[in-house]
Amino acid sequence: MISRVTNHTQMRAAQRNLQENMNQLAKLQDRAGTLKAITRPSDDPTGAANSMKVQADIRAVEQYGRNVDDGSGWLDTVEGALSASTKTMNKIRDLTVQGANDGSLSTAAKEAIALELEGLCKELLGQANTSYLGRSVFAGNSDAGVAIGGAPAYAFTGAPGSTVERRISPDSTVRVDADGGAVFGANAGAGSVFTLINNIAQDLRGGVNVGARLAEIDTRMGAMTAEHTRVGAQHAQIGRAEEALMEESGLLEAQRAAIEDLDLGQVILDLKLQEVTYQSALAVTARVLQPTLMDFLR
Amino acid sequence: MSTFSGLNTAYSGLVAARLGLDVVGQNIANANTEGYTRQRLSTFSASPLGAGGRLDGGVRPGQGVSINGIQRLGSSQFDGQVRTTFAASGFSSVRANALSDLETSLHEPGDKGMSAQLQKFWGGWQDLSNRAGEAAPATLLLGHARELATQIATGYRSVTEQWSSQRDEVVGMVAELNSAATQVAELNGAIRSVLASGGSANELIDQRSALTTTIASLSGATVRELPDGTVDVSIGGNALVSGDRARTLNVVGSSTLEGAAADAVRLVWTNPATPASVEGGEIAGGLSVLAAANATGTGGPLAEAAVSYNAFATELATKVNAIHRTGATSTSPPGVPAGLDFFAFDPTQAALSLSVVPTDLSGIAAALPGSGAKNGGVADALAQLGAGKALDGLGVAITSPNAGWADFVTKVAVGTRMELQQAKLASLTATSALNRQLAVTTVDLDEENVNLLMLQHAYQGAARVMTAVDEMLDTLINRTGLVGR
Repeated sequence: MISRVTNHTQMRAAQRNLQENMNQLAKLQDRAGTLKAITRPSDDPTGAANSMKVQADIRAVEQYGRNVDDGSGWLDTVEGALSASTKTMNKIRDLTVQGANDGSLSTAAKEAIALELEGLCKELLGQANTSYLGRSVFAGNSDAGVAIGGAPAYAFTGAPGSTVERRISPDSTVRVDADGGAVFGANAGAGSVFTLINNIAQDLRGGVNVGARLAEIDTRMGAMTAEHTRVGAQHAQIGRAEEALMEESGLLEAQRAAIEDLDLGQVILDLKLQEVTYQSALAVTARVLQPTLMDFLR
Repeated sequence: MSTFSGLNTAYSGLVAARLGLDVVGQNIANANTEGYTRQRLSTFSASPLGAGGRLDGGVRPGQGVSINGIQRLGSSQFDGQVRTTFAASGFSSVRANALSDLETSLHEPGDKGMSAQLQKFWGGWQDLSNRAGEAAPATLLLGHARELATQIATGYRSVTEQWSSQRDEVVGMVAELNSAATQVAELNGAIRSVLASGGSANELIDQRSALTTTIASLSGATVRELPDGTVDVSIGGNALVSGDRARTLNVVGSSTLEGAAADAVRLVWTNPATPASVEGGEIAGGLSVLAAANATGTGGPLAEAAVSYNAFATELATKVNAIHRTGATSTSPPGVPAGLDFFAFDPTQAALSLSVVPTDLSGIAAALPGSGAKNGGVADALAQLGAGKALDGLGVAITSPNAGWADFVTKVAVGTRMELQQAKLASLTATSALNRQLAVTTVDLDEENVNLLMLQHAYQGAARVMTAVDEMLDTLINRTGLVGR
């Protein structure tokens, strides 16, 4: 059917076209202003779901990053304490070897060694109670404040089998503490390194040859080194996790940008095009709507 | 044939031309009147007078022009199309608006949405796990948890508020429908009496046509024209307007979203109070938005959203509590689970009643029982719940509550997109129907100008005929017998 065209329908058509152009322009301006491809879920339901998933992943990776930082702090502290303890133990071993030379040492000299050993024992106890952010790094999850109690019991306060873990990925955790019981000798006094040192000092004073104690010291130092090696391995693991997280965070950011962000150049081009369209629509409308037959009749 | 009949013929031409000019004037005056339908003077040529007697033969001209009436150049077919498409467009535009509002209230995707708050909540558990037994991360976690509970309640409340305002809107629409129906009935009466007395009721018919379009776009009513000039308007087969009588509709049913399941919002005729069914139009759209939820999840979008909020709150609270119960606090008896809840809620209105039970560190069971007071194993398990990695008693991964929320958002998004597209389509169809109608009914100034010229010339011509007859009579009356003088 051929439609009749009247001033009224022309006017309405012009108005509708202008309105549509304006609408497009406003939409593009909004997009150019926010540079977001998805401002409402209905713009792209699949994209919105993906965007929520990626945002969650980004948040999770940030959280794992914080966990890794915290874990690194723990392991640094543990490693420092273990290095210091190893040094102290070496010194103790040297003094014990020195003290074992029965013939050449006077009682006064032995007393001096015994005193030094007792000093080193206190130092070692201090190292055993090293803390990080208020948490004793050798005490596991215990809240006792110190990992090893004072003389003469030297009781280990940690709960057996309970380790401090930090989550570095959705599927894995890393142990960030060291077992004080393993490092400084098993629980409840007798087997601990502190009791051993005190025994050596006592032997020196009592005139007993301390040479026999060297083997015990070596056992303790062996245990210490073994724990140190384990901590080193964990430190390496957490370092690798840090790198992996950094890489993943970059990947996720790229994914997020691909889903959510608009190409600035494209948007500005579209906006300019729409502006031109709108202006020409205005110009055309102004020309078309003006004349009627009345302009040409006397 | 009378000597003077020529004058009469010319006079009828003058009258017709003048009346035609008046109609053109009316058209131009109403060129921009909403709903005005252009008019045309309809005339026919008057046949010659009948033969006076047997010997009175010969050829005779007609007796000038006769006026038929003033025609209204509308098209009932196009009017019908406009009404049908407006009803469809009204229905889907109300639904699209409602879903669009619902979608806006979700604030997704973005950092103000529920998913962002959920991530903060899970992150809070992880931080607590790192620094178990310390007050600072516990306070932070409780803050995030309370904010999450508030956000769920706020989301739910915004749905119920939207429902109430939608119901008010429907009540307003029904009031508009009733008043339009009354006016149509009054106009029916007026038109019938004008037409019966032979007058022109074109302007009244224009008004009535605008009103029936309003009624149709509100309720999808159908209109039937009757020979006496009145129209019958019926909704769902029942007459809303019949002749000069109109019936009214009323909205009954629950005034809250929660009550809609038992007492649905519906329409009834006022007198007698029988149920009314509205199939199309804005009112039907509004009622479909207000509908209760159903088992298949295809009920009213607002009620379904409320159900989803409750389900989400219940899922979140149940899953978090299940894991939280296995943990131990710093003060609970060592070695056994403290059995404490983290969230409390009333199962009948989970979203509104969701609250956080612990007020400080002592109520949070973050530790695995028997693993030391500074253990954060349960807090870590709760953080893992957010990632969908937490395991239940059988070692099967528990679905993250995040997934439930994402499903809800996607469902609303897809629904909104569909309704928006439908609304756009329906509005396009309605616009094109309206354009077809307007193409026929609106006044074209060029056309009216041409008519004006034609009628002016016709008037001048008729006047000239009258002058010619006058001169002829002058010759006959005044100059006869003066030959040669």
